[in-house]
Amino acid sequence: MHRLVAKQIAKATDATGAVDMNKLAVLVGGAYDEFDRDRRRTDRSMSLMIEEIDAINRNLEQLVTKRTSELRAREEDLRAQNMRFDVAINNMTQGLLLYDSSERLIVCNQRYIEMYGLSPDVVKPGFSFRDLILYRKETGSFKGDVDDFCSSVLRNVGLGKVTHNVVETADGRSIQIVNQPLADGGWVATHEDITERRRAEEQITHLAHYDALTDLPNRALFHEKLKQELAHIAPGEQLAVLYIDIDEFKSVNDTLGHLIGDELLKSVAVSLGRCVAATDFVARLGGDEFAIVQTAVKNSAEVSGLVTRVFDAIREPYECLGHQLTTDASIGIALAPQHGADLDQILKNADLAMYAAKSAGRRTYRFFEPEMDARVRARRILEMELRQAIADGVLEVYYQPCVNLQNNKITSCEALLRWQHSERGMIPPAEFIPIAEETGLINPLGEWVLTTACAEAATWPDDIKLAVNVSPVQFKSGTLALKIVAALAASGLAANRLELEITEAVLIRDDEAALAVLHQLRDIGVRIALDDFGTGYSSLSYLQRFPFDKIKIDRCFVDDIAAPDGSACIVQAIVNIAAERHMTTTAEGVETQRQRELLRALGCAEMQGHLFSPPQPAAELKRLFLSHSARRDAVA
Amino acid sequence: MHSQQITWNPQAGWTPVKAEPENVSLVFYFGTRQMLACGNRYNELREMFPAAHILGCSTGGQINNSDISDDEIVAAAISFDATRLRLVRQDISDAQQSRKCGETIGRDLRGEDLAGVFVLSDGLNVNGSELVNGLIAEIGSGIPLTGGLAGDGADFTETLVGGDCVPRARTVVGIGFYGSAIRIGHGSAGGWDLFGPRRQVTKSIGNILFELDGQPALDLYERYLGPEDSKGLPGSALLFPIQVHDANHPDSAVVRTVLAVDHKARSMTFAGDVPQGWTAQLMHGSFDRLAEGAADAARQARIGLDASEGDHQFSILISCIGRRLLMGQRTSDEAEAAGAELGADTLRLGFYSYGEISPHAKSGVCELHNQTMTVTSFAEVGA
Repeated sequence: MHRLVAKQIAKATDATGAVDMNKLAVLVGGAYDEFDRDRRRTDRSMSLMIEEIDAINRNLEQLVTKRTSELRAREEDLRAQNMRFDVAINNMTQGLLLYDSSERLIVCNQRYIEMYGLSPDVVKPGFSFRDLILYRKETGSFKGDVDDFCSSVLRNVGLGKVTHNVVETADGRSIQIVNQPLADGGWVATHEDITERRRAEEQITHLAHYDALTDLPNRALFHEKLKQELAHIAPGEQLAVLYIDIDEFKSVNDTLGHLIGDELLKSVAVSLGRCVAATDFVARLGGDEFAIVQTAVKNSAEVSGLVTRVFDAIREPYECLGHQLTTDASIGIALAPQHGADLDQILKNADLAMYAAKSAGRRTYRFFEPEMDARVRARRILEMELRQAIADGVLEVYYQPCVNLQNNKITSCEALLRWQHSERGMIPPAEFIPIAEETGLINPLGEWVLTTACAEAATWPDDIKLAVNVSPVQFKSGTLALKIVAALAASGLAANRLELEITEAVLIRDDEAALAVLHQLRDIGVRIALDDFGTGYSSLSYLQRFPFDKIKIDRCFVDDIAAPDGSACIVQAIVNIAAERHMTTTAEGVETQRQRELLRALGCAEMQGHLFSPPQPAAELKRLFLSHSARRDAVA
Repeated sequence: MHSQQITWNPQAGWTPVKAEPENVSLVFYFGTRQMLACGNRYNELREMFPAAHILGCSTGGQINNSDISDDEIVAAAISFDATRLRLVRQDISDAQQSRKCGETIGRDLRGEDLAGVFVLSDGLNVNGSELVNGLIAEIGSGIPLTGGLAGDGADFTETLVGGDCVPRARTVVGIGFYGSAIRIGHGSAGGWDLFGPRRQVTKSIGNILFELDGQPALDLYERYLGPEDSKGLPGSALLFPIQVHDANHPDSAVVRTVLAVDHKARSMTFAGDVPQGWTAQLMHGSFDRLAEGAADAARQARIGLDASEGDHQFSILISCIGRRLLMGQRTSDEAEAAGAELGADTLRLGFYSYGEISPHAKSGVCELHNQTMTVTSFAEVGA
């Protein structure tokens, strides 16, 4: 019997053992009801649960479908990304390796395989670091010790240290290897062929220190090396610095062109290189300037010997692109420690010595002397004073007359600049004119002389001309002709009363522009005279290049004209040539009656000099005009 | 220790006390609200056992060994040889005071040789979880704490608790057992089976549950109960207890039972906290599985008691009213199953409650349980 039934019967049984059937029926009926209710509840809850779970399943299915398509899309993205990644790493210029923390290869790009000529079937993901190095050792692309290399790399990776190494391969390439540790314990290695970059760097370094034309050390390297040498002069020894300036190089460049000029410099560089000992060195400081550092000098004869060798080498004719060139040099020499042990000092001293050599007429050499410095300083002071004098209007124009040797008549007066220094008295033009030319002061000064003299000459008798000196520097300014026209216009002086005196230097560089200016001036009537004739090089060729109106015979021929075997025959020749070419001749520096007589006898047309009159201020000159004219009239 | 059972029914009154009522130091008694409310039963017991602490509450049915009854009061008169007792009674105005109430009782019971605490609490105006937390905070988690919340059948109108006084509402009584002789074993198990999908507690405040998976919780219950059972809310909600647990700590799973519903707010009030963010799953029971649960609880208590076979034992069985609602006449199955584990000689009495207090079978942490059978066994040794 079911336990429940037994209980129900027990409950429906009273103390006498009688069963109350109604009570039993209620209990049994109740139990059935309970079971029914329970079954209904269970059924209901089960079906609801199934509904809920179905709904959840449907949601899940939808979610799975959605997620799957998302995953597929992401997978596609990843595939595309992987492809791009592959393309990127395989087209890198660097070889790239990626290792995991167990030293296994994860990624290796194509470039790495190619770099070392490896087999892609061997070098692939999973290959161990050590095996890869061993394989490279076997195939010849790794030269070092496998164990040392591996343990060094792993040690640094372990320490999280980025390492940069450059290794040379068996075939002479330079490879830079960078090992970059990663957070997960692995590392990335990049291998870059830096052979070309290194070459370029070396080239850049070379370019920075060597002259591109001659391949000699440039000024920077020269300074650097000189500084080193200065610090290591042995006791009892000297170091010589030679500054070499190629004379007249500019005219080679100007007349024959830069190509020839460059060839000449290259040849000179080679020649200089042959002159020096192994411990010495040659540098090109720029333009036509070279330098030699001679080390371990024990006596001055060694330096002189080098200077001789340098001159011999430079004076040797050079064959440059079909042109036979001869050249010369000015050399300045400074010794260390004798003339100073400091770099700047020795450079300055060598420069001063070279300047002195140039001043001495080039084609020579000078050792530095302390006075050079003083001279340069004095010159600088003079320059300052000249500027001040111009500003203060201290300069004056003097005039020296020129007379006809036949009739003793004053034909013209030469305007000459005079500087009366407040302390030093009269400064010779030879002292300050070169300074004015070098500094460009000659331009305003020349213009001032021109306008002043033109204005003055306009007050003179009409038959007396004005002669004005024009410096080569004034020709270069390009505005000379304009200024002359302006001065004439301002003064009202007739153009044919103005005579410009130029020296050979104006024409020496075959300056077409200067010639053009001269022709223009001649066209308007201005006369052109060749000054200081006979002191230059090839005087006669200039006579051919421009039809001068007058030749002024330099005083050096006049000085000894009266002496036996003097210059009389030369003067005669000049007079004859001039006559032939319809030019007038004027003798300069005539101081004696004897000279005057001889010149007249030789057929010279005019004379200028103290015999007749020194240069004089304008007012004095006017008095001279009056007294001379009166005298002449009296004689007549 | 010695225990003897006595009963009361309207026809026969109290069954006579067999021996030495003056030695009885503790009396437990359980009956329906209707039988206890007048206070006469307490007064009669007080007369019979002048020296005893008298402890009882209203129920949703009484357990008398293997029988379940609604028409008699079951009681046990216990005399201890060496164990001392202390009874603390605390009135409580509302559920907000639950923790403070627990702390007060715990503080009064705290003592060097406190060996265990048994608590009876109002079943409707107390947050059982907070009460337990307050008690543990004072007595410590190492002291066995068991007991239950008083019931009111399926009415959920008023629950009564008495401790050395006439049973009344809004009262909590704790009794402490002191000394080295007392042995207390306890067990707790449900036997409910999880069913249906897992849901998330998306809105709750303390022990008031508003939403599961974003839907009103009451909607879900009404759907599962159907129109007929829905009329019986909140009692009928006991047919589908919910188990809640912190998703990060699956061992924390506890079963919660419904105390009240708010049709307007569509919310449900449970006998313990239903924290927001926790996972919840409905449960359902079958007669056999619930009976197995009861047997399991009894087994835990027997094993945990640590008493010799010959020692006199006494057990209090507190089972959830929900289990009775489901099992109907088959409710006695679980009393029988528990009895089979505890032994026919062991006096077993108890009641159907609105909540059970016992250490968690797995975590050992004392908690408020719902829908379980909890068993507390007492013995005294070495006397």
